[in-house]
Amino acid sequence: MPKRGGRIRNWKPNEHFEHDDRIQSNNTRRVSFKPGTNKGKNKFNSWNNASHLLLDGDIDMGATAGQGPNRKGFRGRGRLSSPAPRPASKKKFLPGLLPWYQIIIPYGAKHDKDVVLRALLGFISPEVFIPHYYKINGNAAVFYVDDVKIAEKLFYADRKIAMSDGFKLVVIVRNSVPNINVDAGMKEKMKLAMAKRYNPATKALDLTKFHSDPDLSDIFCALFRPVIMLAAIEIMAENIPDLEALNLNDNKLHGIEHMKILSTKLKNLKILYLGDNRIPYLGSIDPLKPLQLVELYLKGNPLVNRFNDHDIYVSDVRKKFPKLVRLDGVDLPPAIGFDVSEDVTLPPSQQSFLIDPAGQDLVREFLTQYFAIFDSESRQPLLEAYHETATMSMAANYLSNDNRNAPTNRLNAYISNSRNLVRITERESRRRYLRTGRLQVVSFLSDLPKTKHDLMSFAVDLLVFTPAMIVLTMNGVYKETTVAGNPSRSFHRTFVIVPNSAGGFSITNDMLFISNTTREQEDTSSSSAVGVAGPGPASAPAPAPAPAHDETQRAILATLSQHTGMNEHWSINCLQETGWDYQRALFIFNQLQSEGKIPPEAFVK
Amino acid sequence: MASEVALKNVDNACETAEEFTRVFYKQVDNSRHLTSKLYLDTGLLVWNGNGINGNDKIQKFLMDLPASNHVLKTLDAQPISENLVANKLTYLIQACGDVTYQNDDVKKPFQQTFLIVAVEGKWKIASDCFRLQVPHSN
Repeated sequence: MPKRGGRIRNWKPNEHFEHDDRIQSNNTRRVSFKPGTNKGKNKFNSWNNASHLLLDGDIDMGATAGQGPNRKGFRGRGRLSSPAPRPASKKKFLPGLLPWYQIIIPYGAKHDKDVVLRALLGFISPEVFIPHYYKINGNAAVFYVDDVKIAEKLFYADRKIAMSDGFKLVVIVRNSVPNINVDAGMKEKMKLAMAKRYNPATKALDLTKFHSDPDLSDIFCALFRPVIMLAAIEIMAENIPDLEALNLNDNKLHGIEHMKILSTKLKNLKILYLGDNRIPYLGSIDPLKPLQLVELYLKGNPLVNRFNDHDIYVSDVRKKFPKLVRLDGVDLPPAIGFDVSEDVTLPPSQQSFLIDPAGQDLVREFLTQYFAIFDSESRQPLLEAYHETATMSMAANYLSNDNRNAPTNRLNAYISNSRNLVRITERESRRRYLRTGRLQVVSFLSDLPKTKHDLMSFAVDLLVFTPAMIVLTMNGVYKETTVAGNPSRSFHRTFVIVPNSAGGFSITNDMLFISNTTREQEDTSSSSAVGVAGPGPASAPAPAPAPAHDETQRAILATLSQHTGMNEHWSINCLQETGWDYQRALFIFNQLQSEGKIPPEAFVK
Repeated sequence: MASEVALKNVDNACETAEEFTRVFYKQVDNSRHLTSKLYLDTGLLVWNGNGINGNDKIQKFLMDLPASNHVLKTLDAQPISENLVANKLTYLIQACGDVTYQNDDVKKPFQQTFLIVAVEGKWKIASDCFRLQVPHSN
């Protein structure tokens, strides 16, 4: 019998009957053979189809060789020439790349799960195994084991165990990994299983052998599957972003390229255990290099055995993780380095900077009002906001290396008016692109695409705040409301603002830069659900919340008192009337004073 | 209609901006230890929302940043009315482009706005507002 045929055998349910023949009478055999074949064929087909669904994406171990329609004839000949049952030793177990094996028991559905498992456990005793994801598929019982030794034992258990019905148990072993989709329910289960493995005192999460967690017994939750590892990292980033130690020992990790996001998701991660996995090469851990690891555990991975010299292994690992002080549970001798600048990182960014906290309310009020009008149907009312001789210029440019080619990414509406001095070199053009005078400015602004700014997305920096001048820079995103697809743009804008004779403020300089949003910006703005609800009403700026701290109120009070010359009593009165809104208080003061309605005693200190 | 003097001032602002950004980014990228000389003694640097006041502190802050390489892609400049800043010639300069820091070697878009004043024949930075183009939603 060709070897090839030997492996095919366990694919043919009708062979089941060949074996059973041996313990049955000839008569039974003939009677049972025909319907049995049919029955077996049907079963085979349905089972085979089901297994295709089930095994989608599996690693094929070559078991399909010779699986054709002519197989039967071939087999028949083989049987004629060699009627004796083939010895089991002809079958050879081939270990697979990944340690997961699918165990298929055709007709396993005839028996209780307990009966099947007890039979198998009894056969391979004293070895024990955990059957993962046991389920009935058609007539077959299917489950998975995660150990090559067990898989091999089970492989040789084929047709060795006589069941109570007199049939011998057929056991098919395939090197194959369960498929899984990570949905919300699964993530929730993972989260709960992870929560009980987290130690908040040490900020350590122990995910050793995560797939065999009793709470996850009904789902295939093996971390070596990138989709599951990424879901786990996502859960960590959301719930324990300050995680410092992560134990991933014994999870059959193989390729870990996708784990490079650890360095961006878990910035404080310093201790990483990857022992007893299947990481093949030292180069495989390169994606983890951005992590500032002080401790690493790699023992039990093939990569370690590739080094004949342990010192070279240690030295090569340290080259990747210069801050490492402990490797594989052993303290490393301190490294002798060079006294050059540390591998410095950028300081964290802040949402805003205020040169003077007293300017906060004014800035908020100003921006709220300005952008309420800017985002409205008509920008004409902005005439009031600009100084008579105001200048305004806008420059636009694309992001570098941006390969998004959607029409929404075109900046044509801006580029044609962009005053980019890098490109516009002619004096005359430079003069022309600088809009001068409030009429020119507002008419230019009116021609820009209609917008909706997300004030919450603004980073505002107040650079100058003196009685004579305010300089204000903001970065943020907005959406174009009348353009198909409502593209979002990123902008950087500076206002130079001066107090005007009417007691209010006027913009003298307005400088605007526009670009596309980065993917990062888009992700954030979509997650914060900035709806394009159409242009907002121009006259309804959100009321500034009443200051919560007495200190803030004192600062406002001092500023108002200083600015208006009113005494504390009258200043408090004025501020209380306006809900401690400095800008409004100042406005009311100016109005009342111009009408001569403020009594002289208000200025007596 | 703007006066000829005002228009000349616009021309000058543009040319100064070109020269200034050339010098500034050369200093920051290649001779950072000298960069703070470009700031007023009382100058202000606001780096991604972190405010640093005064020449000395700015120098220290800059020295602590990873080595950088700036590529200027977009430049704009406007004159600011002289009577706003103690009758000193003042320009508003907006420089945008990509910056790469040594620590991660990733090109990042940045936007930077300078307020520069002419003091005793030298251009000095009164305020410098630097922002990487990143999401700010809180």
